[in-house]
Amino acid sequence: MDSLNSSEPPVFADIKDAARQLSGWARRTPLLENTILNDELGFRLIVKPECLQRTGSFKFRGAFNKISRIPEDMRSKGVVAFSSGNHAQGVAAAATLMGMKSTIIMPKDAPRAKIENTKALGGDVVLFDRQTESREEIGERLQKEQGAILVKPYDEPLIIAGQGTIGLEISEQVGEIDAKPDAVIVPAGGGGLVSGTALAISETLACPVYSAEPDSFDDHKRSLEAGSRQPVPNGASSICDALLAPIPGELTFSLNSRLLTGGLSVSDDEALMAMKRAMLSLKIVVEPGGAVALAAALTQKIDLKGKTVVVVCSGGNADPEMLARALAM
Amino acid sequence: MYDPRLRTEHDVTDISDINKAVELLRGQVFRTPAIPSPGLSRLTGADVYLKLENQQVTGSFKVRGSYVRMAALSDAERKAGVVAASAGNHAQGVGYHAERLGVPATIYMPANTPFTKVARTEALGAKVILEGETVAESRVIAMQAAEADGKVFIHPYDDPLVIAGQGTATVEFLEDVPDLETIIVPIGGGGLAAGCCIAAAAHKSTLEVVGAQADAYPSMAQVFRGEKPHGKGATIADGIAVKEPGVLTTPILKAHMKDIAVVMEADIERAVQIMVDVQRLIVEGSGAVPLAVLLESPERFKGRRVGLMVSGGNIDSRLLSSVLMRGLVRDGRLARLRISLTDTPGSLGAVTGIIGIKGGNIVDVLHQRMFRDVPVKEAEVDIAIETIDADHIREIMDALEAEGFGTRLLSDTSLN
Repeated sequence: MDSLNSSEPPVFADIKDAARQLSGWARRTPLLENTILNDELGFRLIVKPECLQRTGSFKFRGAFNKISRIPEDMRSKGVVAFSSGNHAQGVAAAATLMGMKSTIIMPKDAPRAKIENTKALGGDVVLFDRQTESREEIGERLQKEQGAILVKPYDEPLIIAGQGTIGLEISEQVGEIDAKPDAVIVPAGGGGLVSGTALAISETLACPVYSAEPDSFDDHKRSLEAGSRQPVPNGASSICDALLAPIPGELTFSLNSRLLTGGLSVSDDEALMAMKRAMLSLKIVVEPGGAVALAAALTQKIDLKGKTVVVVCSGGNADPEMLARALAM
Repeated sequence: MYDPRLRTEHDVTDISDINKAVELLRGQVFRTPAIPSPGLSRLTGADVYLKLENQQVTGSFKVRGSYVRMAALSDAERKAGVVAASAGNHAQGVGYHAERLGVPATIYMPANTPFTKVARTEALGAKVILEGETVAESRVIAMQAAEADGKVFIHPYDDPLVIAGQGTATVEFLEDVPDLETIIVPIGGGGLAAGCCIAAAAHKSTLEVVGAQADAYPSMAQVFRGEKPHGKGATIADGIAVKEPGVLTTPILKAHMKDIAVVMEADIERAVQIMVDVQRLIVEGSGAVPLAVLLESPERFKGRRVGLMVSGGNIDSRLLSSVLMRGLVRDGRLARLRISLTDTPGSLGAVTGIIGIKGGNIVDVLHQRMFRDVPVKEAEVDIAIETIDADHIREIMDALEAEGFGTRLLSDTSLN
């Protein structure tokens, strides 16, 4: 990819390039499985735990792939991002590692824990009032006044390529454990993670890749069925706070519409049950949005009997209250 | 009766036994990952690595030793079957391999063992017999039964082959992170720790092994001090609640281990919580004891490359849940306030407004004007709030008081 601001969808070579860029910075998360759980389920379940990634989610990969490519002479200008969640932490951590300033724009009513976490990773948090201010205006002002570089959460080639390194790692790691996946399932919000992963898988394992979403935010599923980007209806709600993008991204959907076999969706309760399974059987902490692919596999939204499936658990930034709620299921 | 001294046919376990065990275990158990922990490194000032035996088959390292021991059974012994005593990880380790090797297994557990533990072991195909008040009593009964029935008793730690098997976890850890300077390892009977000592000494003479025990069962530390070992009561680190250290393991530890750190119950509980918060890993109490040691004396390990043996992840869901919620209260991140209102329209709104301005996130409101024993013109409301820390709670309470709302903290935190 020649430009930092390309708007062309990434190709497989961009993911290999991202893997080189991330080497030594992002963690190569292991593949996990539990043979006793496999026996119980009747299929082989392999988990890619991005909750063990730096900042507790996959978002660090894309953010670092973009931010680390900003030329030296532009680094003093800093980066800016809109997010109250995992993207904020990924951007803040990546910028700090590169010695750059990051400004994260968050709603004033964002949970203080998330604000504090982002600050702890070195981000400057700017709060805005959802009622009276527009985050886009604040962002544009920062870009104009300081020349700060915007890091989008998903609809950007370098971000997609960064997240795609997960697919590349999966294809290498399944070889190490003699597994031949019949399917890969990946959570989808804006679609960056699933599109990058699907791109890598299509060039390596070439097995079906599915997106997984909450039932009430099943815009990828419906968009794939319709063949065009479908928005989430107004008023939808879900506990999967990491997956609440209003519509699939343009760039991500151009890849997903070509590369995904289909979209799966799960209820909030199914996501909570999957979180419980993750804690008790796989010994990892997964947030609700990070658990939807696991939930889709555990509830066999596609027939998995006797098969091998890889699921991405995309993040682990859940509040203890949410974990306790899952444990009570 | 089982006598560990009779199991010393090739003297004490040495590194060649552990290396043989490494070969033997290939494909039989997981080669678990070892990962760096930038989060725990930041928190403690040490360069922290974790060996994830919580990711092991059956959720603990125990399957290593039990396999190595059971693989050494003669055909006649396999046919006769094996006996073990444990309500926890050792039961699962023996049960798991017994099923796969086609060896009948009988596991003795104390009579009061929770049903879920019995069911989990039975699900692996083992026969469970509930007898004895404590694991120690069950063990005596199991040893007698083994002798009477001509079966082999599989000891949880006092067996050279078991020690060799447990040592493989450290061999792998050092393969992945060869330049570790310290390994902190939990000690119950001492099997894992003895294997760790032998493997560490063979790797590099300067590699330090520090033992970690719970204050409720500091038996090996007591033996080190020349005291009579004892231990009692309930502990979250039930995996290492052993009253008497092993006959074979103790001299190995004495020869290699400089000292043993003992941590309090509250420290262990906090370590379990921090593993969840910082590392997003589920770790059982005994598996969190090494982290508790590191958190307890960070200055001792500052700047060193420290490996924590995360020995297991089998924690009961209710216990885990209560650790997490107690952690929130302990850190001042969750507070329940009882606030007196005048029962006029808008006063509840004013209260929630003040909390909002002060940055508290209300998670629960209980407004029981009708039923509580308060004057009719007054009302009380209990509000649960997510907060940053104890100072933040104090700040919110002061703001409410300043506006005339009497406020009391219901959840007991470090504010007192």
